[in-house]
Amino acid sequence: MATANPIHDETPVADRAAADVVVYITAMPAEQFTRLIANLEAAFSADHILVATQNEMPAAAATHLRVIQKPQAGFLWTLKPSNFIDAAQCAIDHKAKAILILSQGADSLSPAVLRGLADAVLTAAIDLAVPHYSLPPHTGLINSAILYPLTRAVFASCIRFPLSIDLGLSLRMAQRLASVAQRSFAPNESDVLLWPVNEAVAAGFAADEVDASSRALPQPTDMDINSILALVAGSLFADIEAKAALWQRPRRPPPIRRTTEEVALPDGAADVARMVAAFRLAAQNLQEIWSLVLPPNSLLMLKRCSALDAAGFRMPDNLWARIVFDFLIAYRLRTINRGHLLGALIPLYLAWVAGHLNLIASGTPAEHHIEAVAAAFEADKPYLVARWRWPDRFNA
Amino acid sequence: MKNLIAITTQQASPNLSVFPTYSEDATIWHHMSEALHQSLYRVLTLLIAVLPGILAFFVSLVIFALVGMVISWILRRCLTWVKFDLRMARKTGTDWAPTTSPTLILARVAFWMCVFLGLIIGVSAFDTSYATGAAPPISLLPYLTHAVGAALLLVAGILIARFLARSVLIRAVNAQLQYARFLSIGVKWLVLVLTGAMVLDHLQVGGNIVGLAFGILFGGIVLALSLAVGLGSRELVSRSIESHLEHERTHIPEETAGAGSSIRHF
Repeated sequence: MATANPIHDETPVADRAAADVVVYITAMPAEQFTRLIANLEAAFSADHILVATQNEMPAAAATHLRVIQKPQAGFLWTLKPSNFIDAAQCAIDHKAKAILILSQGADSLSPAVLRGLADAVLTAAIDLAVPHYSLPPHTGLINSAILYPLTRAVFASCIRFPLSIDLGLSLRMAQRLASVAQRSFAPNESDVLLWPVNEAVAAGFAADEVDASSRALPQPTDMDINSILALVAGSLFADIEAKAALWQRPRRPPPIRRTTEEVALPDGAADVARMVAAFRLAAQNLQEIWSLVLPPNSLLMLKRCSALDAAGFRMPDNLWARIVFDFLIAYRLRTINRGHLLGALIPLYLAWVAGHLNLIASGTPAEHHIEAVAAAFEADKPYLVARWRWPDRFNA
Repeated sequence: MKNLIAITTQQASPNLSVFPTYSEDATIWHHMSEALHQSLYRVLTLLIAVLPGILAFFVSLVIFALVGMVISWILRRCLTWVKFDLRMARKTGTDWAPTTSPTLILARVAFWMCVFLGLIIGVSAFDTSYATGAAPPISLLPYLTHAVGAALLLVAGILIARFLARSVLIRAVNAQLQYARFLSIGVKWLVLVLTGAMVLDHLQVGGNIVGLAFGILFGGIVLALSLAVGLGSRELVSRSIESHLEHERTHIPEETAGAGSSIRHF
């Protein structure tokens, strides 16, 4: 699908030498940047690659790669619309066939992974290549609980990290993302997220994963779960709402995922009891709000869950899928204020995390449970479609 | 009394013939009756002057509401027939909820525009009849305006109270405060009391008493809270702060420690 070119040509002629791959690197600490440059040198031939970076080249780091300096910016925990616009601009200027976007912490990606991301675009005709990290079970929990299962069920995409901060893009994919970024958002808005996987599905572009090792994911500056969950889940809900005409059509389910290495359970027990206590407190106080969003059956199951002790706490996968779908529908219908809605989701998410951690502690591999949750979301998709089209008033 | 009036009349005019006392009595009753009749006449005149206006207001409202319903129904049928929702969805690329589909929105807009028109015409009719027939000075219309303003104030106050109560409840629950519901109810009632005072003030009911009572009530609550925190619940507050700090001490390293030993939500 052809997309209009939203990029203005303002790059000096001297910097316009062609390159097969443009690597766009967002701001990161100097030592990380030095290591990443070394990995890129190991992965690519200098003739075919051009690096555009928001970092200053350290004096000690001698490289034979072509480097273009971009305006400096602060460290990011997720990609911003302006990054996509800049990356697409660079790619057009240098007639690149593939674009790699790498963010803070990308120095932990091996040269083979970097090469794999580029090769997926250059040789395998993939428009969007996303790394599949092997993260410890206690990290990326919002992704495991909501982003991955919901994206998989709704958009029939098998990408495990839909909000990845390292991407391999074809030129047309980069142009599409830049176009969406320019059309939908003010470039320097701080709390706007773009969903490349959803855009790829909407455009009918091919997306695939590249196996990657563990990676240190940058964390948001504001560590408060309230604001993170509201931002990320709210953004995904809004994107799903905007693409409703697309995902309601029947789609083929994604192929069975490749297995990845399980990362060992870290030392130190997580504070499951505190999360269960937070859920119980919410179950006592937020019934009035939950009853506006959730059907009586879900409320009853939540009541039963709240009676469980912390050590044996579990949240059934089908209940969690139903809860997320009901919150998504309430988000769309504006049943209550959206800020309130996402705030009321937090204790339920913490309950899911507590159950997930208990399962892992009991010996169930984390990835198995996450895949089971994603399967529950897929199985319950007809409910979402039905209520999306004909929202009944179960609590009227 | 009768004797007193008779004596007084005789003293005041000795040359005049003295009327029998029952005649004086009849005059007083006559005056009273006259006064009552005039009062009744004034009230009936007022009612007769205002009643057609009120009737015209309601008739206009009902007729236009019915017309609005008919127009809305026809519009809904026509738009459904031409598949307006589908065309709009294709054109804008937006998915519309069935409860807020373009057809329903247009039908509702048409209905409420008719109702609004009826309201304007009704008020205009009422105003005309009031202006022409209201010989006696009445302050009904200005008071009605105040009443409408007070009603709007009340609705806004209730909405704000509910919004703030929910905000406080959710934030407090997510902050794991055990007294979340108490806080939420407190905020709700503070806003409702404030709204009540504003409504009464707007209606000019109670005069300064409302403001004074409200000031005393608020001041009393603040003073009581200050005393409770400063004297009575000093230990409770210090324990609460200590437990909060303890929670922070255990909470921060958990979130910010290395990847191998922490929960990372993102």
